Amino acid sequence: MAAADFDAAPATPSPQQAFLAVEGLKKHFGGVKALDSVSFSLKQGEVHALVGENGAGKSTLIKILSGVFAYDAGQIHLDGAAYQPASPHDAKISGVQVVHQEFNLLDHLSIAENISIEKLPRTRLGLLDKKELNRRAVTALEAIGLTDIDVRAPIASLGIAHRQLVEIARALQSRSRILILDEPTATLTKRETERLFEIVESIKADGVTVVFVSHHLDEVFRICDRVTVFRNGKTIATDLISDTSPEGVVHRMVGRRLEAQIAEGHETLSLGPVALGVQDLRTAANPKPTGVTFDLHYGEIVGIAGLVGAGRTEILRGIFGMDPIQSGRILRDEKEVRFKGPGDAIASGLGFVTEDRKGEGLVLDMPIAANSSMANIASVSNLGLIKFAEENRQARDAGAKLKLKYGDTADPASSLSGGNQQKVVLAKWLVRNPKVLLLDEPTRGVDVGAKAEIYAILKGLAREGVALLVVSSEMPELMTLSDRILVLSDHEIQGELKRPEFSEENILKLAYGRSEQAGGLTQ
Amino acid sequence: MTTQTLAETGQVKRAISLRSVLNNAGIGLALLALILFFSVFTEHFLTANNITNILTQITINLILAVGMTFVILIGGIDLSVGSVMAFAAVVAGKAITLPGFGPAEAIALAVVAATMTGVLCGVFNGVISAYWALPSFIITLGMLNIARGAALQVSDAQTIYAFPIAFEEFGSAMIYGVPVVFIVALLLVLVAWFVLNYTVFGRLLYGIGNNEEAVRLAGHPVFWYKVAAFTICGFTAGIAAIVYMARLNISSPIAGIGFELNAIAAVIIGGTSLSGGRGSVIGTLLGAIIIGVLANGLILIGLSDFMRQMITGIVIVFAVILDHYRAKYTAK
Repeated sequence: MAAADFDAAPATPSPQQAFLAVEGLKKHFGGVKALDSVSFSLKQGEVHALVGENGAGKSTLIKILSGVFAYDAGQIHLDGAAYQPASPHDAKISGVQVVHQEFNLLDHLSIAENISIEKLPRTRLGLLDKKELNRRAVTALEAIGLTDIDVRAPIASLGIAHRQLVEIARALQSRSRILILDEPTATLTKRETERLFEIVESIKADGVTVVFVSHHLDEVFRICDRVTVFRNGKTIATDLISDTSPEGVVHRMVGRRLEAQIAEGHETLSLGPVALGVQDLRTAANPKPTGVTFDLHYGEIVGIAGLVGAGRTEILRGIFGMDPIQSGRILRDEKEVRFKGPGDAIASGLGFVTEDRKGEGLVLDMPIAANSSMANIASVSNLGLIKFAEENRQARDAGAKLKLKYGDTADPASSLSGGNQQKVVLAKWLVRNPKVLLLDEPTRGVDVGAKAEIYAILKGLAREGVALLVVSSEMPELMTLSDRILVLSDHEIQGELKRPEFSEENILKLAYGRSEQAGGLTQ
Repeated sequence: MTTQTLAETGQVKRAISLRSVLNNAGIGLALLALILFFSVFTEHFLTANNITNILTQITINLILAVGMTFVILIGGIDLSVGSVMAFAAVVAGKAITLPGFGPAEAIALAVVAATMTGVLCGVFNGVISAYWALPSFIITLGMLNIARGAALQVSDAQTIYAFPIAFEEFGSAMIYGVPVVFIVALLLVLVAWFVLNYTVFGRLLYGIGNNEEAVRLAGHPVFWYKVAAFTICGFTAGIAAIVYMARLNISSPIAGIGFELNAIAAVIIGGTSLSGGRGSVIGTLLGAIIIGVLANGLILIGLSDFMRQMITGIVIVFAVILDHYRAKYTAK
């Protein structure tokens, strides 16, 4: 575990030969198949990319390799011997290290303490050996080319990029053979990304194998040697980067999935005037100087596609006044508005069906009636006194309209199934007759039947003239609902797809490809 | 709805109400059992005099606990109520002994002074903890010291006395053996029960305790609701100060030390969840009575005051464990 170990060349078989082999790996969570026949291999000193949509199985595989989960079936061989780490500690001893997206750093301890946290050096008296501690940290950081840093400074004083480098240094100072980087560039600027890539190149030269999980194909094609594509818990193929192209990889990710759902009876509608104008809106999470610009018309459903971290939710929260916005303008009925909080947004006719039902959408312990009147309580009260009969009537009416399956309006919202809970969230806004409805992942955790019902409700609202803005990670959902889809990547609208152009391939091309332009797009 | 779902509905409803009855009745049953126990094993427990005695003794704790219920329901805590009560009593004591007022004016002035002092302390607690999203535990711990220091400063560490006779009479007045001050406390319980169950304000306090973000997202000014909860708690500390002065005929700057803990105990024993969102002020009433009955009964059966304190502590711990299972049970 000493820093000196880093210099020693890991004892591995000759390059070119696979030293980690995964075959037919399966993993279930309850009834859900997370991994269904995953096979791939790692060679010494290669940079190997894992790509696939959200939920395709990359994270599960990483967690199995790093000893967080056990697997149900299949085999993993490391140096020819069966590899079945019982804990992350086990995995580390075998030389497998992960640098997660959310860092495992202790903010108020020093960089040096963080680097040695797994085994702090002690003096003969059993006290913390600060000299040795700092020496090790300096060595570990120098190993990745970081020399301009005071190892005694607390982690909290570092920016995101440096924290990540500290994590990498920590991972490498123990005898790492496989370093897994999970979405390492998600929060980095271009310059920081370049620096990270240089470090990846140098540790690769030292014989360490790097597994690179990324949503950005341009990065994959810059630094990786091979790429393995995941789809629906399966590994589809492993290709040499030199043998494939970004288009080829996207094609493998999507497969031949049905694009039929889109066609089903969608009438072209005459658009109303602009209900909501967004001009160069920059949220606090957006590190770039430019914001997003789009219009939303009455009677229209606009979808926002993009990968996790592309800034979709942040835009909705910014519009709704939940988070402060950095710059840009919001126009409501062509008049500029400034929402100081959700109250202002609601008063202006907006509603927001949030992604996190339990965290933001519902008060689970409270009755269905109380939840459905939460945003509309003024209409069922008089001088601050609740009119319970009126409130119940309103809840029952909304329940009937949304085909809500429930026992009694006095039952707590927690008594309902996921799909019906989501309908209560919808009811909460519908009782207000909103003019503009923002929806974030409107059918997450909802079963198929309820999904179809919710789609019908949303389309019905659009027919009645409501303007809907839908964020979703499920592309079939967006293609079913939307009249247009805006594809977001890195807080920027990469392109807009009209109905005839809808396909998962087109969406993914825009969502992944920062640099390349796909054809047939109206930008 | 079809007939089948209607039938299911009935069953669901019965099951749920049975559960909630058990939840609330549990505290009541515990109280009944205690009363029965002490009635059988002591001679004097179930006498008119002793009951009057108990009601008098629990009045101040009950008043403080009513305000504390509001704060705990939103997931906060107020450790300052004992000190704020002393501060309010000292300010009111200064007011009531001002020369040149008739007894009626002097008493009115004292009531206003005490409640305003309490309200101001509550506003301070609420604004600071809600605006910066700081734990109310720490802020009110600060106020505990601020108010105590202020009480000592204002009174010059001297006990204030010589209040109007009418004030004293109010403190010891009885209606059919029930102390008038206890009736005041009961009225507060009733008002609080009404506010918590029938007003938008009360509804949203429960909502904030359960899921603050959902309430904020629904467009409600969560900040002001939180401030209001702390303000109510301060207000009841002011009322408690008046009752305290009327009962003892003095204003002491060292009154009310540790009272916050008894008030919190009453709320918790009464079944209100420390994490907020669940509970009732009726439970708080029962909780305060349980503490009072225990204190009185245990002394009557000959236990020392130290033993009484230990047993009260055990009851609090037990109540919190019970709440843990109750939360688990309702979560399912």
